[in-house]
Amino acid sequence: MSSIKQIPVITERKGNPLARVFDEFVRFCRSRSLFILHYCTGCGAIELPPAMTSRFDMERLGIQPMVSPRQADILLITGYVSIKTLKRVILTYEQMGSPKYVIGICSCTVNGGMYWQSYATAKKLDEYMPVDLYIAGCMPRPEAVLAGLQKLMDRIHSGEANSWEDYFRNYDYYLGNQQKLFGENWQTPTDIITEAKHYDLIDEGTFGKHTQLLEQHQKPLEALDMRLGHDLKEPTE
Amino acid sequence: MSQELTHWLDDLLEEIEGIKVRRKSGRRVRADVPADTLPALLELLQGRAGYIHLSAISCVDWIEEDEFELVYHVWSYESHSLVSAHIRIAREPGVYLSVYDLYQPAGFFERDIHEMYGIHFEGSPNMEKFILTEWDGPPPMRKEFDSEAYVNEHLSWQEYNPPWLQELIAEGGGVIIPPEEQRFSRKKD
Ligand code: SF4
Repeated sequence: MSSIKQIPVITERKGNPLARVFDEFVRFCRSRSLFILHYCTGCGAIELPPAMTSRFDMERLGIQPMVSPRQADILLITGYVSIKTLKRVILTYEQMGSPKYVIGICSCTVNGGMYWQSYATAKKLDEYMPVDLYIAGCMPRPEAVLAGLQKLMDRIHSGEANSWEDYFRNYDYYLGNQQKLFGENWQTPTDIITEAKHYDLIDEGTFGKHTQLLEQHQKPLEALDMRLGHDLKEPTE
Repeated sequence: MSQELTHWLDDLLEEIEGIKVRRKSGRRVRADVPADTLPALLELLQGRAGYIHLSAISCVDWIEEDEFELVYHVWSYESHSLVSAHIRIAREPGVYLSVYDLYQPAGFFERDIHEMYGIHFEGSPNMEKFILTEWDGPPPMRKEFDSEAYVNEHLSWQEYNPPWLQELIAEGGGVIIPPEEQRFSRKKD
């Protein structure tokens, strides 16, 4: 038929076109300045020093290690996650500021790896927190780690990497899995539901019977005492 | 020198009743003793032969024989040799004496064995939880604990060959290497 029909029609979003340009720009910047918090849970951590230092040098991609969860963008979980560690991983994840991304390195984070029938390690990381990307291998070489990070950069740039929103939208699911493993009294010091309201990410999956259970057990969160030194007792004088 | 050492160590060990000594190699000696003479043996080794370093206590669960085996590894910095003292204790009630007064590091090993096997060491300074602080199941290294059943109950399995893996394979990634591309088969021709 006439060639006119073959011209692709692009239906664009309505709104201020400059806003889109700005969004695009923000995503570009975000994908070029990533700070990783590497939670070195298992043996896979040993591949990170070469990936970071001069041989493979991930800094040329704009990726740098960061010291605290509050300032980090990527949570890198490098290996098997024991159930005791998983609690800490979840606490760390919840304290990171959004947008945040999780990468599971090593086969152990995918399916338990060689610890498949161990009573002490979690099998599927993505049951407890949304995972953006897995890098499988026992252990993956630095090339694979870099390829994975590049893939994450592309996905952040294109706006696909938004699984952190999933934690708020489906909080009930994640909380349910956590409660199944850690017991009904499980509570983290972060108030996810208030945060979800703040980001305007309340969805059908945010509330459910697990969040109800949490509300029953929840102790009110208190501000931590600020004091110097490690002695928690009152001074005697 | 090691020949000499062998002789006087053998003579020394003969002082213990019911001991069976087997020489595993030039520097390793295995001694099987009845459970109640172990403290005497360790005292002798520490006081008169220079075995001052308790490097580990290990435990084996012989469920069919209804016994636990405890192995005390002591090392001498003078003769550079290791003596492993093996004892067997009844699985029930699973109680033994602590050797903390002879070797203080034993406190840690005994605490660890208590946690993993449920053996109680009398006179050990601390029998609290050690590593599994958040575990309230049975001692997990005992043979009757079924780890796989525990996993089935509390955790869930990853699907085998899930759809996203097939997508990865289609892109040229994934974990499946066709046999003709494996290195050893390439080597043949
Ligand atoms: S996948 Fe292999 S290298 Fe990675 S944590 Fe598991 S056992 Fe260690």
